[in-house]
Amino acid sequence: MSNSLDSYLVLSGLLFAIGTFGFLARRNAISMLMSIELMINAVNLTILAFGAFITPLRTHAAVIALIVIAVAAAEATVGLAIIIAIYRNKKTPLVDEYDAMKD
Amino acid sequence: MNFLIPLIPALPLAGFVITGLLGRSMGRDSHRLAVWAVVASWVVAMVVVAGALTHNLGFGEGGFGVTLWNWIPATGFQADMGFYVDTLTACLLIVVTTIGMLVHVYSIGYMAHDDGKWRFFSYLNLFMFSMLILVLADNLLLVFAGWELVGLSSYLLIGFWYPRRSAAEAAKKAFLVNRVGDMGFALGIMAIWTQLGTLNLQKVFAAFAGVPHEWQIAIALLIFCGAVGKSAQFPLHVWLPDAMEGPTPVSALIHAATMVNAGVYLVARCNPIFGAAPEVMTVVAAIGIFTAILAASIAFTQTDIKRVLAYSTLSQLGYMFASLGVGAWTAAIFHLMSHGFFKGLLFLGSGSVIHAVDGEQDMRKMGGLAKKIPTTYVTMLIGSVAIAGVPPLAGFFSKDEILGGAFKNGFLWVWAIGFAVAGMTAFYMFRLMGMTFWGESRVDPETEHHIHESPPSMTRPLILLAIPAVFLGMLIGLPPESGLLHQWLAPIFEHTIAASGRTEAAYTFFGIDGALAIVTTGLVAAAIVLAWRLFGVNMPALGLRAEPRPDRVRELSAQPAMAALYRGSSNKWWFDDLNNLLFVVWGGRLAAAAFWFDRTVIDGTVNGIGVVTTGAGTALRRVQTGRVQNYALGIALGLIAMAIGYILIAVR
Repeated sequence: MSNSLDSYLVLSGLLFAIGTFGFLARRNAISMLMSIELMINAVNLTILAFGAFITPLRTHAAVIALIVIAVAAAEATVGLAIIIAIYRNKKTPLVDEYDAMKD
Repeated sequence: MNFLIPLIPALPLAGFVITGLLGRSMGRDSHRLAVWAVVASWVVAMVVVAGALTHNLGFGEGGFGVTLWNWIPATGFQADMGFYVDTLTACLLIVVTTIGMLVHVYSIGYMAHDDGKWRFFSYLNLFMFSMLILVLADNLLLVFAGWELVGLSSYLLIGFWYPRRSAAEAAKKAFLVNRVGDMGFALGIMAIWTQLGTLNLQKVFAAFAGVPHEWQIAIALLIFCGAVGKSAQFPLHVWLPDAMEGPTPVSALIHAATMVNAGVYLVARCNPIFGAAPEVMTVVAAIGIFTAILAASIAFTQTDIKRVLAYSTLSQLGYMFASLGVGAWTAAIFHLMSHGFFKGLLFLGSGSVIHAVDGEQDMRKMGGLAKKIPTTYVTMLIGSVAIAGVPPLAGFFSKDEILGGAFKNGFLWVWAIGFAVAGMTAFYMFRLMGMTFWGESRVDPETEHHIHESPPSMTRPLILLAIPAVFLGMLIGLPPESGLLHQWLAPIFEHTIAASGRTEAAYTFFGIDGALAIVTTGLVAAAIVLAWRLFGVNMPALGLRAEPRPDRVRELSAQPAMAALYRGSSNKWWFDDLNNLLFVVWGGRLAAAAFWFDRTVIDGTVNGIGVVTTGAGTALRRVQTGRVQNYALGIALGLIAMAIGYILIAVR
């Protein structure tokens, strides 16, 4: 089972589930951002796994993974900036205090 | 002529506008302009009539048409503002303008003390304008405009004393009942347009033979429907007696002598249409003669002097329709003219009586007035004799021609009923005379001492109207069925008479016509004598004297069979109650049901949609918490659902 496509997919599925759980359950905005990173990397792992085991996809997979990393970096930057801006307003990092989107 | 014909309606229109706008500030003289406008209109009309009847002054054999302007110039639909004068129009012009003028003069005296005099005279002028438009119009749309305008002025004048509740309601009733008939007329006009594509009367008549027969019947019935409403024939007769709430000159002008004749005129004018549908002519005859006997039977027991005359008008109009229906076209116009004069006279006379006894209209509170108001008495007596059909007054000739026409055209049942109605007419008219002028005075002692003859402005029109009531028949009706009127009107009706096949046998005095005349006159004489025996007479000049016998009247009407008839008659055969039940009670229930349906079902649906939408919004508002994690949970759950769905489909 080791070093097969399935094991990589199971691992990335687990990572994605952990990320999802963290995003839904953690109250701290920074933790949620970290959970998002986890989910992105889980997806990236899937892409690379496919690239490694299915020869025709190899070059495509590398390119897509690089793009995902770049987008993830940009997203993290923007997300962190938003969180800091909200934190300055609300004086709390806890997201269940944030309900401005209701209005 | 191009100039004179439009002037006839234009003068009263000017009178209406000026009196209507400035009348309030004219004060006591507010009637002047209105009266002079109508007098001028009469003069012009007489010139036109003379031209039309002698075929001089630019009139050809057919008639004279003036088109003022193109009224409705739409593509595919044309209606002109145009007038057309032929001999039939001329006959109507004589009646309308002459009686209209005399009624205007009479009103000067009758309305002298009324604060709303200017309003009254402007309405009267409006009526004259409308009636003249109706008579002169050369296309059906303009006829309809005049038709509605006379309805409007009739409404305004019936409700002239509108603070009185009964007057306001009578006006409303007349207007609404007329709408029923007008609806039919309007549909008839539309039907003609769909079939022929024109509304010009001459063009319609020329092309009418080409219309499919079922359409001919429908169009004739619909036009007759309008005539039934305006001329107050059964079953739309209920408005006319109530219309007597208006001032008496109005009753004389509109509700006896002119407007109610509009239906007769319309049917006569549309004779090619009716001639093409003989079935409808039978309907016309049946409705006419039924109205005649129905109204005459009601007139027996009415105690309001004006109501007796109103029912008498209904009855005489029924005669005219019966005459049109049996194909005696000229006789109908003859009766229209003679009736216009003697009924106008009778109404104005009754107005003079009412004026004399201080507004009392109940004949049970009159009696013995002959000596106190002699001019009114003599002129009304002439009117009564004329309407009763005593030779040689106007009513005798016209009624005789109608009955003769019915008999000779094979409508024996119309003749039989008409014959009975002739006797009934004589009876109720002399009942009216007896109760009003002869016998003991039953006038309220309060008013007894100041009973006075009316001013000359009121008595002179009476005298002027009495002249045609006496001589009109001899002037235009002799020799019978080939007199002046028949010569005038022959070109109008000859095609229809030939087409419908109802050609009367020639008049034979020493034959059937003479026999019919003698029989009818005998019945009329018997009825008059019977009325004298019951309600009294006092004519010393003729050596006639009989005391009224109210005990005998009471005794006769108490007999079981008579009592039932009496009750029916005095309750107007319950037509008002029937209408009340049908339209007010049941119609009200229907309206209430419709109202309920509207409120609960229609409004309920609309409001329900609103309630559901706002309710759903309120409920779904809770979903939007504003917390990112709740939304994310939704996304996650959705993804899971999609994944499960994908797996289920892929596994299958």
